[in-house]
Amino acid sequence: MRRAVWLISGIVVVAAPWLVAAAVPRQQRYVLHVLIFTALFAALALSYDLVVGHVGSLSLAHPAFFGVGAYAAAILATEARWSFLADVVAAGLAAAVVAALVGVPLFRLAEHAFAVGTLGLALVASVVANNWVQVTRGPLCISGVPKPTLGPLAVTTLPAFYWLAVAALVAVGLLYKGLTTFRLGRAFHAVRDNEPLAAAAGIDPLKYRLVAFTIAAGLAGGVGALYVHYLSVMCPEEMTVALTVNLLVIVFLGGVGSLRGVLVGAVLFTALPEVLRLAPTWRLVIYGCLLLLVVIRSPGGIESLLRRASR
Amino acid sequence: MALLEVRGLVKRFLGVAAVDQVDLAVEPGELVSLIGPNGSGKTTLFNCVTGYLDADGGRVLFRGRDLTGTAPHRVARLGVARTFQQVSVFPRLSALENLLVFLQQHQEEHLLARLIRTPRLHRLEAQAVDRARRLLELVGLAEKSDDAAGSLSYGQRKLLAFAGALMSDPELLLLDEPAAAVNPTMINQLKDYILGLHLQGKTIVLVEHNMDVVMDISQRVVVLDHGQKIAEGPPEAIRRDARVVEAYFGR
Repeated sequence: MRRAVWLISGIVVVAAPWLVAAAVPRQQRYVLHVLIFTALFAALALSYDLVVGHVGSLSLAHPAFFGVGAYAAAILATEARWSFLADVVAAGLAAAVVAALVGVPLFRLAEHAFAVGTLGLALVASVVANNWVQVTRGPLCISGVPKPTLGPLAVTTLPAFYWLAVAALVAVGLLYKGLTTFRLGRAFHAVRDNEPLAAAAGIDPLKYRLVAFTIAAGLAGGVGALYVHYLSVMCPEEMTVALTVNLLVIVFLGGVGSLRGVLVGAVLFTALPEVLRLAPTWRLVIYGCLLLLVVIRSPGGIESLLRRASR
Repeated sequence: MALLEVRGLVKRFLGVAAVDQVDLAVEPGELVSLIGPNGSGKTTLFNCVTGYLDADGGRVLFRGRDLTGTAPHRVARLGVARTFQQVSVFPRLSALENLLVFLQQHQEEHLLARLIRTPRLHRLEAQAVDRARRLLELVGLAEKSDDAAGSLSYGQRKLLAFAGALMSDPELLLLDEPAAAVNPTMINQLKDYILGLHLQGKTIVLVEHNMDVVMDISQRVVVLDHGQKIAEGPPEAIRRDARVVEAYFGR
């Protein structure tokens, strides 16, 4: 039963460009654009959930790592003409290095202080992006980031980029699964559930928190690289704290600490605001009410609804 | 050589000495109880030994090795297991996983090996699961193995925490009030487990308020009051010691 659901979803996801072309030929480009955003957001939300859901540290710094990756990729691609894949790897590494450096002092802060500290980092990163004009061009944005090429393959069409984004999402999903199950996942969850007891079991809480934080940041940086190669432009407003709000909505209303929950959350909360454009005046009001409804009816997110339904 | 040696240990909180020049030596295979009124420094002493608190003076030696400044997870990996006074489990992990956590850190540490899941890791995991199931059986939680630890009763969680401390087959076991708020039947069970471990040759230090437990199973009792050691000796002698009676009941 579960296998069948995953299989059917997989087929639908892969075949989406044709399905969209058949169903809404006039709006094909727009719908595909939304789907690409959904896949990228899902990958970003999964990386975010590694920290928030699995080691239980409420980081608000994710836009900073996304931004570091996006800017690194944009600069390397436009100034140094790096190839797409090298660009993605470099962006991920850049974000991971920043995370490892700031993570050491940040994790000395306890829970809420950690959240505020990471919020500070996100704000500083946004200010830097706006004002370090020599490097980021500030509000003028870095434009002209080339479309991705994979060897001889140029990813120029929307369906091609959609498949690339889905492939990235699958890669992130597999890594997410590998990190959050078996012994590694157990150690992360032990640190999340009871830090002193985890230490008594021989787990170094700081080390495991840092590992999750750094890997998550690296993945966010990689997604950032994909993002700029898709939009071909990177601006400071792509990495504001508003991005954190989106990620929090996806992760917490989808289902914190759950692959399925985060994926469903990403689909719903990226696609929903777009679908609601049909009612432009009331769009944000309806969106807000739906958010409230989920929070009130199912505080464990959509994942807990799905669990109850499958029982 | 003593397995655990505490020399002139001092720990102050805001200038008040919670542990004041305490000496303690525990020989291999011994079962020593640490008693004293509330606030006499028993748990603080445990926390200093296991690295949760930095002592302000004195030294802690485990197998002759200085533990001063060693982080809690390192002390644990050296073979010192401890339990906590408040019930301490990982509430969202299953009972079985709770036990598995306590063994895995002693077996490998390379994160990449964990991510790749080497065949060696799968073998170790299978052995760990075997051991965990036997321990769950021992404390009577076998049929709860897949339940979230947070859903167990208070007493069950306490037994689970106790089993967790045994998972890595530690050389030294520090038990902080294992019998507190546990029902009488379970207390007798617990007493049997502890005595059984002692007969297997484990070295155990027990902090306990339940005098029946302490007097029945300890070889030696150490009494703390206001952070100082006021008496030490076999249970019968401690029971009659005037200073101990005074510390507990007043003059």
